[in-house]
Amino acid sequence: MLTYIIRRLLLLPIILTSVTILIFAMMSLLTPYERASLYVSDIPKQSGALEGIIEKYGLDDPAPVQYWYWLVGRTDPETGEIKGGVLRGNLGWSKTGKGDVAEVIGRRLPATIELALWAGIPMIAIGVWLGVLSAIHHNRLIDQLLRVFSIVGYSIPVFVFGLLVLLIFYARLDWFPPGRLSDWAAQIVQSNNFTSYTRMYTVDALLNGRLDIFWDAFIHLVLPVITLAYLNWAYLLRVTRSSMLDILRQDYMTTARAKGLIENVVIRRHALPNALIPVVTVGALTLIGLLNGVVITETVFNYPGMGSFLSEAALSLDVVSVLGFTLFASFILVAGNLFVDVLYGAIDPRIRLE
Amino acid sequence: MSDILLSIENLETCFRTPEGTIHAVNGVSMKLEPGETLGIVGESGCGKSVTMLSILGLIPNPPGKVVAGKALYRGQDLLKMKDSEIRHVRCSEIGMVFQDPLTYFNPVLTIGRQVSEPLEVHRSLSHKEALDQTVEMLELVGIPRPKERLNDYPHQFSGGMRQRVMIAMALICSPQILIADEPTTALDVTIQAQIVELVKSLRDRLGMSIIWITHDLSLIAGLAQRMAVMYGGFVIEEAPVEDMYAAPQHPYTLGLLGSLPRLDDVQGRKLVSIEGLPPVLFKKPTSCPFAERCNFRIERCNLENPSLRLVDKCHRVACWVNPETRRENQ
Ligand SMILES: Nc1ncnc2c1ncn2[C@@H]1O[C@H](COP(=O)(O)OP(=O)(O)OP(=O)(O)O)[C@@H](O)[C@H]1O
Ligand SMILES: [Mg+2]
Repeated sequence: MLTYIIRRLLLLPIILTSVTILIFAMMSLLTPYERASLYVSDIPKQSGALEGIIEKYGLDDPAPVQYWYWLVGRTDPETGEIKGGVLRGNLGWSKTGKGDVAEVIGRRLPATIELALWAGIPMIAIGVWLGVLSAIHHNRLIDQLLRVFSIVGYSIPVFVFGLLVLLIFYARLDWFPPGRLSDWAAQIVQSNNFTSYTRMYTVDALLNGRLDIFWDAFIHLVLPVITLAYLNWAYLLRVTRSSMLDILRQDYMTTARAKGLIENVVIRRHALPNALIPVVTVGALTLIGLLNGVVITETVFNYPGMGSFLSEAALSLDVVSVLGFTLFASFILVAGNLFVDVLYGAIDPRIRLE
Repeated sequence: MSDILLSIENLETCFRTPEGTIHAVNGVSMKLEPGETLGIVGESGCGKSVTMLSILGLIPNPPGKVVAGKALYRGQDLLKMKDSEIRHVRCSEIGMVFQDPLTYFNPVLTIGRQVSEPLEVHRSLSHKEALDQTVEMLELVGIPRPKERLNDYPHQFSGGMRQRVMIAMALICSPQILIADEPTTALDVTIQAQIVELVKSLRDRLGMSIIWITHDLSLIAGLAQRMAVMYGGFVIEEAPVEDMYAAPQHPYTLGLLGSLPRLDDVQGRKLVSIEGLPPVLFKKPTSCPFAERCNFRIERCNLENPSLRLVDKCHRVACWVNPETRRENQ
């Protein structure tokens, strides 16, 4: 198992290098002027200043040299100070977020994680449960109903479903508000007698013992959570169902029954662990994939997380922010995939002991 | 009746498939006495496995269903039992060993867990007692250093060792009957012989009855007392092993024995193989199922399906053709 993890970890730098080269290639499409803004907090007013910056930072150097500077930063010849450098966490200045890209991502991340957790955990639990239910009642009524639901869920795009939900529950029924907190709650959260532990409001509210704020944050989460969860839930249901159906056909299910086990135990002990192996992968990847879904969901529900930040940045042609976000997202993706690989090995002895 | 352990009577099992209903077993009858070993042979698809799975209620439904017959175990009909009752017969009274020891083991559970599981269900033993007994059993079937291997997974064993473990699992609750469904087909020849020797020695030690299913006639000779030949979902001949080898009656059996290479073969004699393919039974046969491939076919064979008749002491055969004709033409 250890060698397995180490082997995977050795792959990580290779993958990240490829990703950064890809991002850099995208960035080389920008003019030196545009790229100058990666290194400065404010566009200087005097003419000729930008040329100075381009000169100073070697923005018209050959691409590989620039890639190196981009990775590790570059020493300012006058002050001896090192500037920039993705490896040093310096992603550049975000016009949209009015701050360092890394800092803006850090500021927006908790909201998105909160949303992803609220959507992801019930989504996985319900999706898997219904998938199993569907498989063990193969071709009976409940299976047919669930299949219709999942096909419907699978074929509606996120933004359509989100807008539909918004129209019905917000515009029409006025049950759930968009945004992240009501004004009164936002004031309390920003005040001094509210401690921000995680910046996830539902969690912080509980830690501060403020049930009213928890409820307010929760109410705001309901619609985006349903939108995010419903679509992925349908996918998980399908994956679990087909994996379970496949396992139920395996020879060792006959062996388990031939031992005189109760059907319940046969399913729980012999079928489920096998059926869940592919589901774990898909489940974890879906969770990571929620990052994708949040861009649209957060925009539709005006929820101030990473997703809505990205769409704001994209709309105002804030390339630096978009690149920073992309790098961050690919990092999460790589780390998430590594985690899934390790998890895979942990639950499947055939891989762990290979 | 007291000397009959298991008696299968007119068992019929069907599978409903999109292409039509497959009549896999069409009225199989056989008996098993205590301590006896019964060999069952027949081509692939003739219903051997389905017969055995049927009596233990292990046919997946849908698509399968046992539609008629009885399976009396010590006078009680297994086919009429409730779920909870038949569960206590499985493994505890009738243990089963399957063909492919890899696919019939659960890949993600340890051997120790899988072998000890029946004990947990049928005998109320503590975990430690169950494991002790498992180690003993694994030792008995010839697994070296069994204690250290409890936490290994099926894929970490060789094919032969895996089949030994499977046998240990089937015998862990000391059942009265062991059903071995082609337990050596997936193994190479030397390992096959070892497994047969193992089962013989276990039989002498534990005294269970055995139903041994195989394609390989040569295996049965040294192992079984009686053998039954199946074809198209029927038993078409049944006799003590010596009689069967000395004087096979059914044209199909003649063909099977003819296709068996023998040590005392006269040099140059060709191996006979039976021409044609076994039938797929989309309807219950009304004629002799072997008629199409039979060299001795007479008119009656196409009209009526023969049932088993006693032709000699303990020797029964289902064929319309006069025994003399068959022997002369051989
Ligand atoms: N689950 C199933 N669905 C449909 N048909 C089945 C099913 N299981 C078995 N059958 C059919 O039943 C018939 C008998 O199969 P069975 O497995 O008993 O053959 P067998 O004699 O054990 O052959 P083999 O030597 O290959 O194991 C076959 O024609 C097969 O197609
Ligand atoms: Mg079979």
